[in-house]
Amino acid sequence: MTLYEKITTLYTELTSDDFFPDTGTIVLQNDSDGRGDYIKSWEHPTLAKPTQEQLDGIN
Amino acid sequence: MSITLNADTSSGLVMTSDTSGEIKLQSAGADIATVDSSGITMASGKSVSGGEIIQNGGPAFRASINSDLGVSVSTWTKVPFDTEEFDTNSNYDNATNYRFTPTVAGYYQANASVRVNYSGAAGDFVWVRIYKNGTAYNGHYNRDANGQPYGSVNVSDLVYMNGSSDYIEVYFQTNHNTATISNGIESKFSASLVRLA
Repeated sequence: MTLYEKITTLYTELTSDDFFPDTGTIVLQNDSDGRGDYIKSWEHPTLAKPTQEQLDGIN
Repeated sequence: MSITLNADTSSGLVMTSDTSGEIKLQSAGADIATVDSSGITMASGKSVSGGEIIQNGGPAFRASINSDLGVSVSTWTKVPFDTEEFDTNSNYDNATNYRFTPTVAGYYQANASVRVNYSGAAGDFVWVRIYKNGTAYNGHYNRDANGQPYGSVNVSDLVYMNGSSDYIEVYFQTNHNTATISNGIESKFSASLVRLA
């Protein structure tokens, strides 16, 4: 399950628009360095940035 | 061997002579340029500035990807262009960071193109960006009009590079959840010096 899928599972109200470049409020990134996807920035006005523990709990 | 003209920091001009027909210009013992019957050749990492000079031998590279690459949906992913087609100055890192860090200061023409294979739906987008020093520099995106099996997008721009720490990379994003970047001829990253600083 990708990071995007975990986040949208945790917050079902999120849509792809929330991740859309420039106009969205959430930026996910992968630097192809073996560390995988990560949250580059989180500026959603009402939802809190998920903790690693929350993300790890989603399978 | 060659004739050397060395601007030494303690002895001043130091000249050695032979019959090679070649002159090396040096500063503090380090080669700057060589003059012979074919013309002038700058030493590695050295440049000519201040004139209308056509640059031969400036950094240039072109790279592709060795195999198809699955990417996560809605995630900016650095495209690991891991196969060099040429890299004239060994300034492209195709093994670890997949970035171009030229050692000659100047203005570079940078180009990137990406093809993605997917079962696209109308509204799906593919987006490519050139990043300079980790920040988006220029980008372009295309939207799928009617559900194609693949999409492609490209971007190009002039980028000033300081010849030491500046670097460029390519990032890609799509909102399709089963997309694969193709290793075909449509996925390339290249740059070349077009004007010295």
